[in-house]
Amino acid sequence: MHIADGILSAPVLAAGFGGTAILAAVTLRKMGHEEIPKVSVMSAVFFVVNLIHIPIGPTSIHFIMNGLVGVILGKRAFSAIMLGVILQAFLFGFGGVTVIGVNCVMLGGGALIAYFIWQLRHRFPLGDRVEMIFGALAGAAGIFVSGVILALALFLTGEEFLATAEYALAAHVPALIIEAIVVGACASFLKKTKPDLLSGQVQKGILKTS
Amino acid sequence: MSLEIDRFSHVESSIQRWDPRIKILSLGFFIFVAALLKTIPVAVVSLLIAIIIIKITNIPFHFVANSIKWVIIFLAPFFLILPFSYPGEAAFHFIGLPFAWEGFRLAIVIFTKALAIVLATDAIFGSSRFDISMIAMQRLKCPRVIVQMVLFTYRYIFVFIDEVKRMEKAMRSKGFVMKANMNTLRTMGNFVGTLLIRSFERTERVYSAMLSKGYQGDLHTLVTFEAQGKDFVKAGLIILLTIAVLVTDMIRIFHPATQGWY
Repeated sequence: MHIADGILSAPVLAAGFGGTAILAAVTLRKMGHEEIPKVSVMSAVFFVVNLIHIPIGPTSIHFIMNGLVGVILGKRAFSAIMLGVILQAFLFGFGGVTVIGVNCVMLGGGALIAYFIWQLRHRFPLGDRVEMIFGALAGAAGIFVSGVILALALFLTGEEFLATAEYALAAHVPALIIEAIVVGACASFLKKTKPDLLSGQVQKGILKTS
Repeated sequence: MSLEIDRFSHVESSIQRWDPRIKILSLGFFIFVAALLKTIPVAVVSLLIAIIIIKITNIPFHFVANSIKWVIIFLAPFFLILPFSYPGEAAFHFIGLPFAWEGFRLAIVIFTKALAIVLATDAIFGSSRFDISMIAMQRLKCPRVIVQMVLFTYRYIFVFIDEVKRMEKAMRSKGFVMKANMNTLRTMGNFVGTLLIRSFERTERVYSAMLSKGYQGDLHTLVTFEAQGKDFVKAGLIILLTIAVLVTDMIRIFHPATQGWY
């Protein structure tokens, strides 16, 4: 779900670029060059996963997975999503160069909130299902926050987009449900198979490797 | 456009020969101005300019058609939503719904601008090798880390698409069919998880190889840029046209198609 070129007003576009610059500067701070490949990989996975479509009735919906990026990369998720958005604007030409800022804030902001919610899992002793539950919440939060920011951007552009904003929010509901289930399943799968991929993982056991 | 955006970058034309740095700056300026237009005639003129530019690049139409397809898919709903939801007086009622020409006009402006922007973006990135475009961005003071990560990501995308295709084939050969149900979604969760694990493990190997070859956070390149008089003439032409477009739009000879909060 992202906004296209030619719709939003200049102040909203500028605010998007401003917000992206600030968030990128904050989340990229103290990044060593050993992290560059990791963020790039996640970004490429994010890009590729966005090309996968799930059939719903007569139509289909594609994954967004910004919540999952938050779950894997933590605060570096913002830069991974920014790269995905930049590449998609350059390669597809649509969705688009002028709205890179707004789309980064929208999807990246969702990823950061998703990470915040994902981290709350340490406070709830839910046993084996905790990754599934908080993964699902993080996946849903990623889409929810993006939907709200999208609606806000449309609303701030002008009152004639009020109805469009409402439709856009409604269109996020099926995506929200799908992402919750998929990210939940993915988080619990990773917990079982390769837990150190997940962000904010507390190491248990006698060996501390990093 | 397809993922392999630079497939026609070797074709000879004056856009392909243009210094990428100056090309990105001048066409980028055009794109941002196009995004802010408010009147239909001027938006159409900007679309014509974009069509001429893409014609000059000699990029075949079928290559550009894909991006045009996305514009239509994304923006078609606006033709339905905006006329029927535009605040204020309705021109007439259509099956009980108020239809406002103002909303229809707005939809046309959005659609035309989006087409112009897409064509101009395709002209920028379709006419140079992608790595050269990115190095040009770095010369234009884009942060080095971001340019480097974009290049890595671009490379990985193709690798991971192949990986996804392999995994999908394996799943289908075991009888998996995508449906809108819980089982499919859970399987897709595991699918994405497996893709992540494979991707990260592959990168660890690649990164070790890079380190052993002396990678210290910089990419070295033999690409050099040299701007000549011709490059600046082309830039001047585009920028003058763009300013003319912007001024015609702003002096309000034509009726603007939007009344926002501002």
